[in-house]
Amino acid sequence: MLPLDAFAKVCADVRPGEDADQVDGLTPPVVAAPATLDEASAVMRTAAEHGLAVVPSGTGSKLGYGRPVERCDVLVTTRNLDGIIKHSPGDLTLHVEAGLTFEALRETEADGWGQHLALRPPENGTIGGAIATDVAGPGRLLHGSARDLLIGITTVRADGTIARAGGKVVKNVAGYDLGKLYTGSLGTLGLIVDATFRMHPAARAVRVAVVTDDPGRAVQAVLHSQVVPRAIEIDRPAGSDETTVAVEAETETPDETSARLHELLGGTPAPEPDWWNRLPEGEVLAEIRSLPARLPEIIKAVKDLPLRGSAGAGRLYTTPDYTTPDGVEELREALKPIGARVVLVRAPLAVRKSVDVWGPLPTLPIMRRVKDQFDPDHRLSPGRFAEGV
Amino acid sequence: MTRPDELPEPPEPGTETVPEVPSAVSMDDLLSDCVHCGFCLPTCPTYVLWGEEMDSPRGRIHLMQQHREGAPLGDAMVRHFDACLGCMACVTACPSGVQYDKLIEVTRAEVEAEHPRTWTERAVRGAIFSLFPYPRRLRALRGPLRAYQRSGVPALVRRSGILERLSPTLAAMERLAPPSQKAPSLPERVAARGGRRATVGMLTGCVQREFFPGVNAATARVLAMEGCDVLIPKRQGCCGALSLHSGRAGEARAFARRTVETFEGVDVIVVNSAGCGSAMKEYETLLADDPAWAARARALAEKTRDLAEFLVELGPRAERHPLPVTVAYHDACHLAHAQGVRSQPRALLAGIPELTVKEIADPEVCCGSAGTYNLLQPVAAAELGDRKAANVAATRADLLVAANPGCSLQIAQALERQGAPLPVAHTAQVLDASLRGHPAATLLAR
Amino acid sequence: MADTLRDLAERCTRLLGPESVISDPVRLRTYECDGLTSHRASPGLVVLPETAEQIAAIVRACGEAGVPYVARGSGTGLSGGALPRTDGVLIVTARMRRILDIDIPNQRATVEPGVINLDVTRAARPHGYYFAPDPSSQQICSVGGNVAENSGGAHCLKYGFTAHHILACEIVTPDGEIAELSRDDPGFDLLGVFVGSEGTLGITTKITVRLTRLPETVRTLLAAFDTIGKGGDAVSAIIAAGVVPAAIEMMDALSIEAAEAAVACGYPEGAGAVLVVELDGPDATVEHQFAQVERLCREAGAFEIRVAADDTERALIWKGRKSAFAAMGRISPAYIVQDGVIPRTSLGEVLGRIDALSRESGVRVANVFHAGDGNLHPLVLFDDSVPGAQERAETVSGAILDLCVEHGGSITGEHGVGADKARYMPRMFSDDDLDTMQMVRCGFDPAGLCNPGKVFPTPRLCGEVPGVRKGPHPLVAEGKADLF
Repeated sequence: MLPLDAFAKVCADVRPGEDADQVDGLTPPVVAAPATLDEASAVMRTAAEHGLAVVPSGTGSKLGYGRPVERCDVLVTTRNLDGIIKHSPGDLTLHVEAGLTFEALRETEADGWGQHLALRPPENGTIGGAIATDVAGPGRLLHGSARDLLIGITTVRADGTIARAGGKVVKNVAGYDLGKLYTGSLGTLGLIVDATFRMHPAARAVRVAVVTDDPGRAVQAVLHSQVVPRAIEIDRPAGSDETTVAVEAETETPDETSARLHELLGGTPAPEPDWWNRLPEGEVLAEIRSLPARLPEIIKAVKDLPLRGSAGAGRLYTTPDYTTPDGVEELREALKPIGARVVLVRAPLAVRKSVDVWGPLPTLPIMRRVKDQFDPDHRLSPGRFAEGV
Repeated sequence: MTRPDELPEPPEPGTETVPEVPSAVSMDDLLSDCVHCGFCLPTCPTYVLWGEEMDSPRGRIHLMQQHREGAPLGDAMVRHFDACLGCMACVTACPSGVQYDKLIEVTRAEVEAEHPRTWTERAVRGAIFSLFPYPRRLRALRGPLRAYQRSGVPALVRRSGILERLSPTLAAMERLAPPSQKAPSLPERVAARGGRRATVGMLTGCVQREFFPGVNAATARVLAMEGCDVLIPKRQGCCGALSLHSGRAGEARAFARRTVETFEGVDVIVVNSAGCGSAMKEYETLLADDPAWAARARALAEKTRDLAEFLVELGPRAERHPLPVTVAYHDACHLAHAQGVRSQPRALLAGIPELTVKEIADPEVCCGSAGTYNLLQPVAAAELGDRKAANVAATRADLLVAANPGCSLQIAQALERQGAPLPVAHTAQVLDASLRGHPAATLLAR
Repeated sequence: MADTLRDLAERCTRLLGPESVISDPVRLRTYECDGLTSHRASPGLVVLPETAEQIAAIVRACGEAGVPYVARGSGTGLSGGALPRTDGVLIVTARMRRILDIDIPNQRATVEPGVINLDVTRAARPHGYYFAPDPSSQQICSVGGNVAENSGGAHCLKYGFTAHHILACEIVTPDGEIAELSRDDPGFDLLGVFVGSEGTLGITTKITVRLTRLPETVRTLLAAFDTIGKGGDAVSAIIAAGVVPAAIEMMDALSIEAAEAAVACGYPEGAGAVLVVELDGPDATVEHQFAQVERLCREAGAFEIRVAADDTERALIWKGRKSAFAAMGRISPAYIVQDGVIPRTSLGEVLGRIDALSRESGVRVANVFHAGDGNLHPLVLFDDSVPGAQERAETVSGAILDLCVEHGGSITGEHGVGADKARYMPRMFSDDDLDTMQMVRCGFDPAGLCNPGKVFPTPRLCGEVPGVRKGPHPLVAEGKADLF
């Protein structure tokens, strides 16, 4: 039996892959879009029976993360698993399918929920994608990322086994928190099918921006103040001596808080930033992970590159224009004395093939062993993560 | 015939039966109160030092339980009971109301009765208990000690290996006690100044009387200036605190009976030494099984007050003169934990104009003095003393105020070791200086 | 086995010195249980290491000898997570209690695992910061234990659990290597899964925690209701209004009675339930929300509301709540502290069912709970001198957990599974779920020597092919393990 037929038996939405479905230049022979948990499980089991490599996907917005996959026999997309299963406003929880897009969620939230999922990834994509890539948006400072908001998860393992962890309640310490394990797993551990999150009331907030030549001081002033910032973002164009610092804070007294923030930030008031929660544009996008107090040193070390991102949370983006694969290593070397890590988020295929996307991975041996348990045949997004994962 | 301030020799340890836990409470009930939550651990000095379960109140209660269930009082077990300072910080910390004070008292008595001690241990204990509770003997030592200090020739030490253990403490007492000061003998009665508000008896203590006579004089003056007739019976002896807290119940009872007798005529007994006050408040329990004494002991316990406790109850009347000095107030365990007296001394000090009171970090952890502890467990005691001294030094105060002679000695010694000596004073002395309008320098000149 | 342990004792003595190895039976027994005394096992050996390298060496020695080991901090856990093995080594971190670094510019502190939770706050407070997780044992529980149990506390409604406040951990892995897990690591979140794994994935040797700014304002009120239902309505109304208080705690009539007997907290007379609500944050926001909360409580039927005017009054309001567990001794000779979670909106329904359970069985149940997040702490009272009373209490206690699971909740909100609740895990998770969790364990600890017997009702053989298990587990079949 052709694999396609085998998949068609267990899943209604199955078709052969096309050029548009390409993952890292590979066209998947099969594209399966399960619409239920059982279908998802059956698709994964079928792939296992045929020894096929599976790449889980949502809208496909983050398929370029990590290293290029080595094989892609089946692209499993969650686009048919895009429902809101249950919103329990009184419990401040939300149970959704992994293929739900943030665009759709935001639209529904705006319909009088008075609550929101405190994840605002910079680009549209799915809930599952946000978990798998651990993107969060500016609110990371106050609310963390998917791992901090996730309270329950349903996944399908490489062999098709359905596995749940966590639950539907905010407070729960029964069993291992597999939701966290899947955070940042890049489709290498299993298929995320649904997830339950803790919600936050949609509080009133203000956003204040200033231009300053001392962003380090400005960021520290807000960080240690009583304003309780939700986000502290910066934008520094390449080569510039001036940085825009923008702060968002929840408040019941917006005018007072704005005034207080201006007082703390110093500098010159700037207009509402149009770059807020937008990734810098460029073919290559790198993330710099460091401590917030290291900001001035980082700014200095990458003077010639643009810098933007969550200064308060220690996550900054830059867009190096690499002509050689050594560029990433150069950036790493420059930032090494500051203790900052560099992770390549997005880059042309050729670059991703040739450079070390992740940098040093001290826990790789443990990750390999966990991977071997979950996916002993290494069929899930093979090659995407570091060697052996 | 016994001399006025001495008592008959106490019975030999081990010849008295182990005291039963009084009234309806059984040892089993006391033990079962512990739910093993561990809240006592961080306040226990030996747990703070060593981080071992067996040297925490929870662990010791577990050992007591094991003994109850038949495990013998072996060396291992006894070592951990001996290591307990009896500071009672755990009693304060316990949310379940475990009466560790009663538990350890009974256990210590069991240890004394059942556990054979080595010759050295017996000798050291023998020396302590035939010396400290007897003011006259303490006094007799002062001359030789002073000579020992001056000459630097350890004649005494050569003659007696035992005194090697005791001499550092005795020597410290000697250093702290103003050398030229002859113990001023207090009259039997000090009359109230202004209108009389109360008549109180005053306990003079053993170490307090011999080494810190100034504290007793200050206490009597403060009480008088606050409108109290102060009665100071000449015949009073040791209250029995040291013996009681070391498992020598028979000895303690003998001292207790004597003290009850001495003070039966007064309405209130004011005590300026924390260890003594807490022991006297425990007389009821100590003599509960003695029909002839139970009621009298209870009556005495009920009218015993720590000086600070009493002064706050009485309310200030005398004028406080400014005393521009920064003091660090140290909670003596037997005051804070055993008697629950914490706010009163602070309130009294804070009531003095221009005086600043500093809190010492980890106030609930014992300084290591703990009655005879610094004599019996010198290494642990010194470590605890060093910790306390460091916390005291960190307050940058000019003066250390404590309400127990043992604490004052212990912390002063440790501060000296660290090269940061600090004058010490009793709450009574600070009040005395303020009430009499003496300059702060009189307190700092020690 | 005795010989193996003797050899290990000698090896550990060489590694750590005699003062750090306990092998005397009398001393060993003092370590036989943690804060849960119903499970006891005297350890085969106790060691008190002071460095990560020492722990790594001990773990390697255990691995070579095939001896299981259990880590313990202050021994205050309430699920028997640190229950020792009679055939194993207990690794006590109580001597690893240095605060290594307080880094205010980066809002973090690095501590050794034996450091006491409250001591982190004490060290940070002068800088205007604190360590947010505040389990009620915070004055003694260790940060290492907090990491193992993912400890909560009264204030986790707003501030989250330990997992939210741990930025990195240095651990000794079961193969005796020292590894650093960090939130900044790319790839799957090993730190996230390690926190709360109840000591089954390795031993923490150094922890970097997030420090939280001390709030500008804290305001606390006590609201009294004649029924617990009305109290529950007030909680729902507060949450529905978009207010996330720092804490919302509720006590029922029986627990109020006990607290009054113990500490005379002076709660309003005739209250069927009291609610303690605490708000913190910036002045203006707190003022605004506090007025809202007061109004909502009144609308829900509060017959008396007391607002704490100062720290002393706040302490008085909290006194009753904080003493509630220990105070049960005043109204019952013995009791079981249960820990279950329900969706907040099921509060009324579940409390009604617990009440019915109590009436049917004749077993009294007092309720104290973190109402904000639906974390119930029913206290099941019994007289241990009455034959069969404990068994009846345990049945009721188990039935309460069933109620929690039935309503979509959890069998534990903060005490952990440990040795105590492993048997209840199948009520909440399928075999596949548990099997999947154990795959993580197999990745970290293939030999299964690291705190075995905790969390999972049946061990998974790590060499086993993943997938649906056919027939009974080999260990069950051999009589070496038990399903319940």
